[in-house]
Amino acid sequence: MTSKVYVALRVKATPERAFEVFVAEIGGWWRPSDLFQTTPRAPGRLAFEAGEGGRLTETLANGKVFEIGRILAWEPPRRLVFSWRQASFPPDLTTEVEVRFEAVGDETRVSVEHRGFDRVPAGNAARHGFPDRALLARLAEYWQGQIRALGGQLT
Amino acid sequence: MADWRAPLMSAVCYRDSRAALAFLEAAFGFEVAMLIEDDAGQVVHSEMRFGNAVVMVGNEWSDDHKSPASIGGKNTQTVHIQIETDVGAHCERARAAGFEIIAEPETQFYGDRTYRCRDPEGHIWTVAQTVQPVSREEAEARTGLKITGWV
Repeated sequence: MTSKVYVALRVKATPERAFEVFVAEIGGWWRPSDLFQTTPRAPGRLAFEAGEGGRLTETLANGKVFEIGRILAWEPPRRLVFSWRQASFPPDLTTEVEVRFEAVGDETRVSVEHRGFDRVPAGNAARHGFPDRALLARLAEYWQGQIRALGGQLT
Repeated sequence: MADWRAPLMSAVCYRDSRAALAFLEAAFGFEVAMLIEDDAGQVVHSEMRFGNAVVMVGNEWSDDHKSPASIGGKNTQTVHIQIETDVGAHCERARAAGFEIIAEPETQFYGDRTYRCRDPEGHIWTVAQTVQPVSREEAEARTGLKITGWV
């Protein structure tokens, strides 16, 4: 078994547009966080390479490209799964993020499920000393903030 | 934390909170806004959203937190749901989801049409829709009660 953090919020857009903006405009709507730093450097610009196997990268100010993960499932406009690792993670650790887009009336329910984050070892910088429950609660808030930012981009 | 939540929230305890998440969605249309599970698959925390309100659905996480199913069906507080659309249809949806309707929809002296139901673990919920405006004077005349604070 693996830990799961699931959050969902509605955005004012069709699933097609929400999926498109999630992937193609992530560099615009993504909000970096001091708590879940992808790299120790100043936050760069995120980008997806569309399609299964495509990379999720962060391009830093110095031009270096950090690979956060790869797309594991590409099912527009309903579902997107990608791997997720932060630079401080041990080499053999990856976590997984599943994003779903579900039409509800004229809105779209965007949900994010982030699996396996409790495997980040004690003492790792990505944990900030938090025990599992606090870490997962912060992770949930982090993703709620990201979906809200996506919603802002969509309106 | 999420900035849309009304500042008063109920946290309700269930023996099987995962089942509760499903039947509360089926009956009332609450949507899971947050769910945190540990590596054993246990629900650590969850929040369901209804409008700008949240209800937290949790386990019996201490000796003093029990589902009605564990204490002879008793309730020490109930959650009231105020809706703006058809309360009769709402009631039928709850019935179809396996909730026991313990008071069928009925219009009350204060102008709300309400029903009361019991969910599969014994929590009692009341649901109301305002169907006619009633003044304080009218309500007092109908009931013989002295009413203060009627807006």
